[in-house]
Amino acid sequence: MTSPRNPWRPSRRTILFAAVPFAAGVLTLLATSGPAATPSMAPASRPNPHREDPWVMPPGEPTPPADEAAGPVRRHCALCHSYDYISTQPRLGRAGWAASVEKMRARYGAPIPTNDVPALVNYLVRHHGKE
Amino acid sequence: MIRGEDLQGLDRRRFLTAAATGMAGWAAFGGGVRAETAGGTLDTVRLPFENGERPLVRYPQKRPLIRHTARPPQLETPFSVFREGLLTPNDAFFVRYHLAGSPPPKSILDPETFRLQVRGSVQAPQTWSLAELQRRFEPVEVVAVNQCSGNSRGFFQPRVPGGQSGNGNMGCARWRGVRLADVLKAAHLLPQSKQVLFDGLDRPLVAGVPDFVKALEVDQALDPDVLLAWEMNGEPLPWLNGYPLRLVVPGHFGTYWVKHLHSIQVVDATFAGFWMNPAYRIPDDPCAHVAPGTTPKRTVPIERFNVRSFLTSHLDGERLPPAGQGLTLRGIAFDGGSGIRDVTVSTDGGRNWTTAELGPDPGRYAFREWSLAWRPPSSGTAEVLVRATNRLGQSQPLDPLWNPAGYMRNVVERTVLSL
Repeated sequence: MTSPRNPWRPSRRTILFAAVPFAAGVLTLLATSGPAATPSMAPASRPNPHREDPWVMPPGEPTPPADEAAGPVRRHCALCHSYDYISTQPRLGRAGWAASVEKMRARYGAPIPTNDVPALVNYLVRHHGKE
Repeated sequence: MIRGEDLQGLDRRRFLTAAATGMAGWAAFGGGVRAETAGGTLDTVRLPFENGERPLVRYPQKRPLIRHTARPPQLETPFSVFREGLLTPNDAFFVRYHLAGSPPPKSILDPETFRLQVRGSVQAPQTWSLAELQRRFEPVEVVAVNQCSGNSRGFFQPRVPGGQSGNGNMGCARWRGVRLADVLKAAHLLPQSKQVLFDGLDRPLVAGVPDFVKALEVDQALDPDVLLAWEMNGEPLPWLNGYPLRLVVPGHFGTYWVKHLHSIQVVDATFAGFWMNPAYRIPDDPCAHVAPGTTPKRTVPIERFNVRSFLTSHLDGERLPPAGQGLTLRGIAFDGGSGIRDVTVSTDGGRNWTTAELGPDPGRYAFREWSLAWRPPSSGTAEVLVRATNRLGQSQPLDPLWNPAGYMRNVVERTVLSL
């Protein structure tokens, strides 16, 4: 069983993923941490199943390839969501990805500097889109 | 509102029998595969649309579910679960969050310290502990479907961005709680009150990202079928389904079923928060659709489910037993709360239709079982179509309708069986 920990408190990996822009050591760490299943949970026991069950989310989350061009994606997208929010999307065209980035900026309040938008869109079109 | 006992013993065995005659699980999705990843081996499934490969991942209190996204978590129920019975097991029930701070941590969900605030345009603002809510108000139960607005979005053509789910972002459970109306009446709404806002303990982690707050009109909120629920299928809500308290809005899409509910605020004007406008809106026409690829002129908040029906006894691509044996096709139908009037089934791609037999009525918000005895032809393939009609006369389109957000898909489903 995984030892219980506060799921609110991000793991060291998560903090690095969210906060550190680009560091080779971090990338190596992330690239080797694929998703893994948590231990089997016992069936819910009355009255409160949470008393015994660990409040732990599965460790690791999908990350972009260890590629320097993924820098803007790591810096900006990863603040709010895991990489599979991007990788599971249909293959959008350039206009579609540009619209998605603009939606994140203008509507969801993602703090993405205007200067970084072209590199972000280029990356998304190249890796997850169609021209 | 129906009593919980109504569903007890309801045909779980029959469902299992039907399931046993078919192939198990994942073949229906084009073959389960095992993918090697840096972190080890995990099972994956391939949903039947482009870029549909997903891992099966086990989360707390959950069996392995189809993971669309890890943070915030979006987990889909494998479709084979729906032939296990009419109530979706808690450990298989879908999960959908929006904000990076999801799910909220145990430290703020402790039922001893958890409090529900009722405030705003009321005479008597109140703070309730879970135990006080349970003592003070009459406990009631409802069996109701919860369905994600974007259930089946992955099938939209042209494709639209958003959570790319198959048909499994739905489930039916017996919810137990107290009537929202009773709690609101205890606070005495002021005459000018117009809407009621609901906020959960999940939250954004980046400044500027809008918190997930949903609004119901006062009339909707006073509907006696709307519950503040702490129990699901006889157990406390799973952590990932809203523990310790969630809003249950029968007949309405899951976006209103606010999880980890801790704040109810009555307001005098129409709430314009992000998750009511521009998010979760549909074209303002009776079928919530526009021409594919176009933008609606006017939108309104999404509300009730449209009619849907599914074959659950057999999965797409399944091979049937040797020729000559009769079998029973079985499935589910539901709508936004009027109840299902009839279900018709075609086994020849839509040329001929037969009225199916409906199972016991577990309440107008629940999955309604249908079944049809059938002797398959001796060779080739059979295309099974299912179409339900509700008590308002509303039904399902034979061709899919489209809207830019990928909501409310309810096309007549087609399942191909090989003989």
